[in-house]
Amino acid sequence: MAFSPEERAELRKKFAAFAESRDAKLRDQLIEAHLGLAEYLARRFGNRGEPLDDLVQVASVGLLKAVDRFDPGREVEFSTYATHTIVGELKRHFRDKGWAVRAPRRMQELYLRLGKIISTLSQDLGRSPTIAEMATAAQVSEEEVLEALEAGQAYRFASLDSPSPGGDDDGDSMGSQLGELDSELIDAEHRAHLSPLIARLPDREQAIIFLRFYDGLTQSEIAARLGISQMHVSRLLARSLALLRQIGAPDLEAQPPE
Amino acid sequence: MAVSEDQVRLAVPATPEYLRLARVTATGLASRLGFTFDEVEDLRLAIDELCFALIGTKGRAGTVQLKYLIHPGALEVEGIGAFSDRPEAGAVTVSELSERILDALVDEHEVRPDGDQPTFRLLKRHIGP
Repeated sequence: MAFSPEERAELRKKFAAFAESRDAKLRDQLIEAHLGLAEYLARRFGNRGEPLDDLVQVASVGLLKAVDRFDPGREVEFSTYATHTIVGELKRHFRDKGWAVRAPRRMQELYLRLGKIISTLSQDLGRSPTIAEMATAAQVSEEEVLEALEAGQAYRFASLDSPSPGGDDDGDSMGSQLGELDSELIDAEHRAHLSPLIARLPDREQAIIFLRFYDGLTQSEIAARLGISQMHVSRLLARSLALLRQIGAPDLEAQPPE
Repeated sequence: MAVSEDQVRLAVPATPEYLRLARVTATGLASRLGFTFDEVEDLRLAIDELCFALIGTKGRAGTVQLKYLIHPGALEVEGIGAFSDRPEAGAVTVSELSERILDALVDEHEVRPDGDQPTFRLLKRHIGP
């Protein structure tokens, strides 16, 4: 995060100029110059059950506010000021989400481990494993398995504004390779039967919703079909339903009675 | 489901963050019944879907009382809302989409979201080993 003295002087000039002109281009440059700080701070808040992408997004919002509000006339470095603003933004983000995100690190780790255990057991058994079987394999209690599964789904209350994480945050190499496949999974004819709300979800989520609720596939079957982990299917489903509820709620009044 | 073996009762504030307890209780009991990962995950989604049907996306003032009935090879969950505020406009409509989702997730479900005492019920059977 260290700038050279020259860079520092340059930035100071830009801040002074921005304070005068409020020029959008300057603003972009100032934001860009400090994105590293936002990311650094976002990482510090990692391992709390939130995808890093989302946290970086939140931190960037904090950075934006800091750039807009910073008064270069004051005797304080921008980085000091911005750190304060960004951390505030991150803290509020966690606070707004309630206790669900305050999953202990141990639970997060168990959750990641369970993802692999589910895949292995499903293959060995030829069916979805029971919680007891997962607990035995992980050498923990059933309660801990359930707690970890719950903790791993902390995004439940994620706001609509948070981007759908493009990369995967639970350690498996999946998801990104889907892309093209997704749109082929639901053809136009099928799409017509889907609720219009679903059309507002990302393609992959649409596909999973379609396969689970319209085609009646189990989560395991969907995972096999899409080549992603069951845990990931489970996460995406839960998040999609949470999003659908949020999208759906304000519109309900406008809908004609059924 | 006439005869029930054991039952567990839970009353939580009618806000989204407490639904976690409703889910954890359900999955804990389901695990005792030998439910699989798939079934547990379905149950969790269904509990959310039904609880949100009662309390709306933002929650209500009051409580949701949950009754978990443990049957051989099946878990039945009943929810009763006791609210002191008026519902969020339009929030208690159970959409066609929600119906479809619940059809896929559980074996039986019903919601009566209106009136002084909105209720829901679900039944999830354990199939498999």
